[in-house]
Amino acid sequence: MISNYIKLAWRVLGRRKFFTFISLFGISFTLGILMVIFSFLQGELGNNAPNSNKDDLILIETLRLQRIYYDTIPVVDTVMLNGQEIFDTTMETRRRGASRWNSSMNNGIAEEFLQDLPSAENVTIFNGDTQHDVYVNGIKLTLQTLYSDANYWQVFDHQIIEGRTFDDTDMENVAQVTVISTKTAQEYFGTTDNIVDRELLLDGTNFKVIGMYQDKSKIIPFISPDLVIPYSNMTLANQDSYYHGYFTTVIQKRSDVEPDVVKNEILTAATMIPMDHPSKPEGYNEVILMAKTYNEMYAQGIYSDDDASKSLNIMKWVLLGLLTFFIVLPTLNLINLNVSRIMERSSEIGVRKAFGAHQGNIIFQFIIENIIQTILGGILGLGIAIVLMKFINTSGFLGTNTMVFNTKFFIYSFLLTIVFGVVSGFLPAYRMSKLNIVNALKENKI
Amino acid sequence: MIKLDNISKIYRTKTIETTALNEIDLHVPKGEFLSIMGPSGCGKSTLLNIMGLLDLPSSGNILVDGQSLKNFNGKQLAKFRNEKLGFIFQSFHLIPDLSVIDNVELPLLYRSISAKERRSLAAAALEAVGLANRKSHFPNQLSGGQKQRVAIARAIVGKPDIILADEPTGNLDSVMGDEVMDILIRLNRENKTTIVMVTHDERMAKKTDRLVRLYDGTQVA
Repeated sequence: MISNYIKLAWRVLGRRKFFTFISLFGISFTLGILMVIFSFLQGELGNNAPNSNKDDLILIETLRLQRIYYDTIPVVDTVMLNGQEIFDTTMETRRRGASRWNSSMNNGIAEEFLQDLPSAENVTIFNGDTQHDVYVNGIKLTLQTLYSDANYWQVFDHQIIEGRTFDDTDMENVAQVTVISTKTAQEYFGTTDNIVDRELLLDGTNFKVIGMYQDKSKIIPFISPDLVIPYSNMTLANQDSYYHGYFTTVIQKRSDVEPDVVKNEILTAATMIPMDHPSKPEGYNEVILMAKTYNEMYAQGIYSDDDASKSLNIMKWVLLGLLTFFIVLPTLNLINLNVSRIMERSSEIGVRKAFGAHQGNIIFQFIIENIIQTILGGILGLGIAIVLMKFINTSGFLGTNTMVFNTKFFIYSFLLTIVFGVVSGFLPAYRMSKLNIVNALKENKI
Repeated sequence: MIKLDNISKIYRTKTIETTALNEIDLHVPKGEFLSIMGPSGCGKSTLLNIMGLLDLPSSGNILVDGQSLKNFNGKQLAKFRNEKLGFIFQSFHLIPDLSVIDNVELPLLYRSISAKERRSLAAAALEAVGLANRKSHFPNQLSGGQKQRVAIARAIVGKPDIILADEPTGNLDSVMGDEVMDILIRLNRENKTTIVMVTHDERMAKKTDRLVRLYDGTQVA
């Protein structure tokens, strides 16, 4: 029976070429785009080098100094007591507002208060906001420079192609050394061969290249800087205050610990920061270290909210909404197309019922036809995704970051298309299966 | 074989009530070739549809081999149609996307029969109507007479006890009509298949065992 249905489905698809094209286009395009989006998100948010520890990272980009204003509100009332009017006044204190001063933190705060958190496996401090303009053969090249400590190389597992990374000794000695990306090597030196020991001129200072890592273009700059220099080379004396400065701290937690545990430890650590330093602005009486997970930080970049976890939740809902939209829209389209397609075959349904098909047989037949159609759409979608990814990878839209086809996601998407094949086939098939035989035969379209 | 007991069929709309069949009593014994005649709109096809369990009567009872079908549900009726009845329609109703042999196989799809056996039964049915050499063709590659022979093969492939034919020669010229009629007569004579045929053609009706005439939903002869 199934082979008969498959044969029929194949012929029906071939007979109604335009309809088939519209249906297959909807399914395959949806699936193709979904796979490309997922591949991009996986590249950005997946646990892959140099961000393999992504799920264990807690970032502190902001130190907030805060003061809260309170109003005291007297409520004056009178009561009668023993025939005498007396005053009954109450005082109420209410929070009126707060003054907040957000900035990146001073490295001293990170070194003093964030190095020994119980749940931390590793801590790195860096500044990733600096850009240097350099000139190569008269052409300007803007380099994204990261000033970091030696731990950066443990937290972020860049693939070292040549040489080495800098260590604590280099930090202490204020060594004028740098580790550069393959992209920088290519752009600055015109090659990625024998880069070590060459010199790179930045702001009048020659930095000796001691290593080179594989470039991975990511949106977040500190994941894929153009070059990394020990932060001891920065002029730290220029930092604003004891509290604020140039630095971001990233804590790599132990993988058996929940992020909230570390966040709480950070909150506690913040309470240890003295509030009597002369550089503290007048009136501020609280310091908060704004900790967030990597995904929360990413989401905050797209939808900014003071509460990073809220940003992440909103981003999740938006993504889920988009995913639903991408799936529901073609499903509705398919249902609509299927209704008209199946309606056209009402006399066939009449004949089948006359010769002994019951409601279930009719539903089964049309669902099989739909599944075949969606499987074809799925295979085409796979093709579209591969072609799109190849195009994006070769066009360099994502820099040196490459999209990788994800088999697991393809299987999930494929199963999903089969599900919407069943769903979009079931409703019209169910409706038509209830068709009165005599009326169906009167349609006489066959 | 088939017994219609006081069958009426009334179509109702909000304002109009139309009696298509009015208290029909009819008995078709096993092996009989019965024809039904009457002017257009007299209820011939309605009667045939009710006998074929394609439509339900408004009142009355249908008995096949003494068994009342009144309380059958949809699935039971489908099974009954599949095993006991075969249909031939005026406009053939072949499925254009299926080859001739696939069309003939159709009633067997709803039985527990292997694909191989299905194939061989369908081939035998096509052989019986003289179309063995056309099994891979598609309906649009056949003449009207050939299409009706395919439809007959489809009706007989499941070896039903009863064949219900609704103007089987109505869309054919006289030569092709005679060919189709000869096949039906042969089926009736050789296989003892009970056949009920609706026709407008007096000449064809005369070839059958008995003629029933309807007028305005009432049996007049």
